[in-house]
Amino acid sequence: MSAATDAPSLAHRRVRRRWGAPLLFLLPAGLLFVAFLAIPIGYALYLSFRGMRVSGGGPFGLRQETWVGLDNYVAAFTDPELVAGLGRLAIYGIIAVPLTLGFALTFALLLDLPRLRGARFSRTAIFIPYAVPGVVATLLWGFLYLPSTSPGNWILERVGLGGVDVLHGGMLFGSVANIAIWGGVGFNMIILFTSLRGIPTELYEAARLDGASEWDIAYRIKIPLVGPALVLTGLFALIGTLQVYGEPATLRPMTSAISQTWVPLMTIYRDAFTRDNLSLAAASSVALALGTLVVSIILLRVTQKRTFGGS
Amino acid sequence: MMRRTAPVITALSAVALTLAACSSGSGSGGAEPDDGGPITLDYWAWGTAQQPMVDAWNAAHPDIQVKRTDAGGGTDSSAKLVTATRAENAPDVALVEYNTLPAMIVAGVAQDITEYSNGLESEFAPGVWSQATFDDATYGVPQDAGPQALTYNKARFDELGIDVPKTWDEFAEAAEKVHEADPDTYLTTFPPDGFGGVAAFAQQAGGQWWSVDGDAWTVDFDDDASVAVADYWQDLVDRDLVSAEPLLTPEWNAKVNDGEILSWPAGLWAAGVLYGVAEQSAGDWAMAPLPQWEEGDSAVAFEGGSALVVTTSAEHPEAAAEFARWMGTAEEAHAIQIEQGQYPASLAGQELTLESEPPLLMPKQKDYWETAAEIARTTIPEISWGPNVNVASSAYQDAMSKAVADGTPLRDALTAVEAEVVDDMKTTGFEVTQK
Repeated sequence: MSAATDAPSLAHRRVRRRWGAPLLFLLPAGLLFVAFLAIPIGYALYLSFRGMRVSGGGPFGLRQETWVGLDNYVAAFTDPELVAGLGRLAIYGIIAVPLTLGFALTFALLLDLPRLRGARFSRTAIFIPYAVPGVVATLLWGFLYLPSTSPGNWILERVGLGGVDVLHGGMLFGSVANIAIWGGVGFNMIILFTSLRGIPTELYEAARLDGASEWDIAYRIKIPLVGPALVLTGLFALIGTLQVYGEPATLRPMTSAISQTWVPLMTIYRDAFTRDNLSLAAASSVALALGTLVVSIILLRVTQKRTFGGS
Repeated sequence: MMRRTAPVITALSAVALTLAACSSGSGSGGAEPDDGGPITLDYWAWGTAQQPMVDAWNAAHPDIQVKRTDAGGGTDSSAKLVTATRAENAPDVALVEYNTLPAMIVAGVAQDITEYSNGLESEFAPGVWSQATFDDATYGVPQDAGPQALTYNKARFDELGIDVPKTWDEFAEAAEKVHEADPDTYLTTFPPDGFGGVAAFAQQAGGQWWSVDGDAWTVDFDDDASVAVADYWQDLVDRDLVSAEPLLTPEWNAKVNDGEILSWPAGLWAAGVLYGVAEQSAGDWAMAPLPQWEEGDSAVAFEGGSALVVTTSAEHPEAAAEFARWMGTAEEAHAIQIEQGQYPASLAGQELTLESEPPLLMPKQKDYWETAAEIARTTIPEISWGPNVNVASSAYQDAMSKAVADGTPLRDALTAVEAEVVDDMKTTGFEVTQK
């Protein structure tokens, strides 16, 4: 920068002319990026190496923030509950991701069938749950799950069968995943449906002339061609899984089977706000963010060649 | 490489300049002019009783005006206080639960107000006063107290022919009798996340989870008394004589309303809480002293209750302390408190309850306040809470819920909580002895 303020040579002037305008245009976005992304991330990184420690000794010594090196990372990685939370997240993800994408793809393909009646109504009906805020959806499902308010249990008891408690034991994973599936299918369906609509219809006509059934067309033409959209929705679903918080946190008051550390983000919230350990929460957040990044890159690498024909 | 870094540096320095400009601009609204006008105090407190009390103070004290903010219940509010203190914008005065007060001291939130507390000690029973005094320094003015009692559904007790249990043995027998008479009905609940309740049961039995010895803390969650309490509830849970579920869920509220859960051993505030969730059953209820471990004993511990602290951010600590004292000891304040269903911490306030109507949940129990006063007189003094009750309570909730769900021993859950509490205290740098 100082070079530019010296008596400008021709080369310098050319550099300034080349960079001046683009930089000016980048400035607003750059400012926002630095203020609301780079600085907070940097601060979280900084916090993750700090910690509250007692100074002065005595039973009521003051806690003060000091440099603690890698202590928080060691604590995060050796916390069995954080690891167990990742395990629970994996079970949840194995249920939620394939079912969400499977339902979304099925609905999208069905809606894309020719000569379909009531398409607009069905599309809206499938999409509407996505418009219901997550907390509201969870409360709604929570009351459907609770044994004393559940209509399912009411019917089961009337016909002489015992009620089912879907908020405990292995059923819990399905119950939590179900809320996410219910809310997520519509959104993913729209993305896949839009992508299906982008496929030139000549392809279908040609296939039909060759004697392909609607099933063949769906399986051999439509699904391979919406591959990129499937990867995109898969990536969203995966990141969404790693960020699960709202559903289990909202259901927690309704069942003792959901601990405060049920999923990693709940552990992070507990550490930051219930236990006043912001630094540990920052370290866990950094680790989780890096983990998400690594998993996303692996997913993209694995699927890229197949769906985008290599690049 | 050089070509690329130069513009980045340019952009960054531009950002830095802009940010510097922003921050210097925002600093101008600070420091209040000290022109002798009325002092304004910020006060954080939850609950229905606070605003009318603050209004009464403001009417009587034109020079010190108080603005109250509801920053959430005890747990939320104290978490926010810690953050606000670090940002140096905490309110001047705040309501803090007794069991979080030590945490507020080590976090630098609560200020030592010994110099403004002349004659305050005599206003309170020793058990209450000890909740706000540490190492001979006063950190708060007690406002309300929650000695444990047994709030029970008298109508259902009479219907099933159950006598009010005086000991925990009788309580277990009653639980058996209730469940035999009506398999859908339970005498009470064992909430797996009920840290405060079990802490108080353990204290009643003689347990002392945290204690201070010189410069060091002693932590003992699984002493004989606490283990006996855990084993007692274990037996009731194992025999399905109590309902092991969280409190105050829609499910639980419905059962209370339907007379399927017949009692709640908890702080005296239980009457107000139950009235809020089971109003239809009001009139069926009554309150009795908590069952004892040995017949003839009368020891009872606190569950809940809170004090007003003056924060380290307070600009006018003397005025803040004056307000805190008024809130905890003025007759006008007590009258409002009682009307709103709080049990006052001060002796004068407790005296005043005797002239009041019983709470809305038990309008027929004319001796409610006499019984309450008797219970308050027998609270255990010198209960100390540790500097990380938040960690203990969150660890307890998870460990106990897991033990109840998996059918593992409850006493082991206490040991697990102790390990987590000690670990946290050691990491923070306290000197700790684990028993």
